[in-house]
Amino acid sequence: MKKIKNVGLLVILIAQYSNTNAQTLNWKALDNTKHILNVNLGLDYSLSYGLGYGYKLNTKLPIVLNAIFSMPSGKTMFDDFKTKIGGQVRLFNKSNFVGSVSIFGVYRKHQTDLVTLQNFGSDMKGIIGFYKPKWFVAAEVGFDKAIVTNFKHSQKYKDEIYVNVVDGWYEPATGGNFYYGLQTGKSFKRADITLNLGRVISQDFKTPLLLPYYINLGYNIRF
Amino acid sequence: MSYKNQILKWGSISCLALCLLSACQKGKYINETGNLVPKTVMEDLALPSINVNGAKLHAQAFGPEDSTLIICLHGGPGANFRYLLNCKSLADKGYRVVFYDQRGSGLSQRFPKEWYLNYGADAIDKTFDDDLNGIINHYKTKSNQKVILLGHSWGAMLATRYAGKYPNKINGLILGEPGGLKWDDVFKYVRNSRSFKLWSEALNDATYLDQFITGNENDHNILDYKMGQLSSSNTIIGDIKSNLGVNGNYYKSGRDGAVISAAMFEIGKKYKPDFSEGISQFQPKVIFFYSGNNKAYPDSWAEKISSTYLNKKLIKVNAVGHSGMFDQIDTWTSFTEPKVIEYLKSL
Repeated sequence: MKKIKNVGLLVILIAQYSNTNAQTLNWKALDNTKHILNVNLGLDYSLSYGLGYGYKLNTKLPIVLNAIFSMPSGKTMFDDFKTKIGGQVRLFNKSNFVGSVSIFGVYRKHQTDLVTLQNFGSDMKGIIGFYKPKWFVAAEVGFDKAIVTNFKHSQKYKDEIYVNVVDGWYEPATGGNFYYGLQTGKSFKRADITLNLGRVISQDFKTPLLLPYYINLGYNIRF
Repeated sequence: MSYKNQILKWGSISCLALCLLSACQKGKYINETGNLVPKTVMEDLALPSINVNGAKLHAQAFGPEDSTLIICLHGGPGANFRYLLNCKSLADKGYRVVFYDQRGSGLSQRFPKEWYLNYGADAIDKTFDDDLNGIINHYKTKSNQKVILLGHSWGAMLATRYAGKYPNKINGLILGEPGGLKWDDVFKYVRNSRSFKLWSEALNDATYLDQFITGNENDHNILDYKMGQLSSSNTIIGDIKSNLGVNGNYYKSGRDGAVISAAMFEIGKKYKPDFSEGISQFQPKVIFFYSGNNKAYPDSWAEKISSTYLNKKLIKVNAVGHSGMFDQIDTWTSFTEPKVIEYLKSL
């Protein structure tokens, strides 16, 4: 129990002070691995970059706990960011075919000169693919849901657009996007280079997003 | 307790906490009108409105009813007339000045996207052209009353289109930076005016929002709110905060129309309308303003777009952006308005 608490604390600390977009794993290259550090760069609703941490639990069913923090580029630091805390579970492993799911709680912030948004959401993803110790390729399908969002508008918004805007927490869900694509990677003795790419569509499958694609290049160090 | 059970336990607690957090809040609904965007004329009956061509439009008119009619057409598609309100001063000079939010825009009535798309290639005729017909008929009090169209950006494209289609109904055109008149030029202008750098704050501010708020195809309140967030800042076109002086009091809260905007771009892409069609039939002189600070509208572009008009006067307005010739009261008062009045007197 104490160990869990320590791991949880580490996860929260890393989520607060580092940044990462996603942590893509080669499930066949995780033997003798306890810790996974990740750096990545890509398009994820913006040009964004980050760092992350994964902790592999010593369980019969392979589980990796993750803390992820990403930030978009731009001249103003920390006005926008996203943190994810959760984990990935390998569900089956049969003849090099591996299926896994990941479930994350998401906290994200977005600030412009008109509004500051804070959101709690979830990100769930299913992955199935062909895994070898040196490489892997898999398909991924996920849903990123903005569950509850706080709106705080600036005086500029009130002056220039809508004086009677109502600030506060908005629910039920304010948004949600499906995404689907491929992930692949090349694994080395203590490292992986990974690539995720695919398409993002809004939950009504009709309304286009401004950046309807995602691509992410990652580098994992395992130890 | 095994790790698996621990994870299940803490996962359940987290989910429960999130549910409780949601349950404890008094629900505010993002798609409820009046929360994030102002109410339209359909919900706020105190707003000035007229019924035209089967739509309830937010509209205001100033000045003597029988004098020369100046009808102001705002940009977009999907913006509102608030930023044009400095033109109200023409009413003090004896003109009848009419402002209206186009269908699906500003505080006017909303329609579903399919409603526009179902008209196919006739969508602009059946909506914007016929609405403008209705506006003219509504405000015109006598048959020999002169009608002048004052259009900015998308409004200048519509004004050109209408004058080309009904050259005998219009006595003059006052235009400000129509992006283009042939669809390929419109597309090129839109692309150039939004060509943000991939790593820029402006682009990320626009795209990052999509993970917080998504609306269904006809969720007007949500989509209009998002459009308002996006259209508020664009350094390429050089616009700054509108300075309307006391004129802003006539339109306190504005709103964009995202569905009409999306529908018109879809129709434009599919049918490639030519807004300059028939304009060669239009004999009166045209006055054409363009700005010095809009990087997507250099001298060469202004000359290219204005070359369509037979009889025109091209005027560059320095030190302002795309809307500055109208929405900056100092520029309007000291530069644009005198040119407009000189033009009106010449007709």
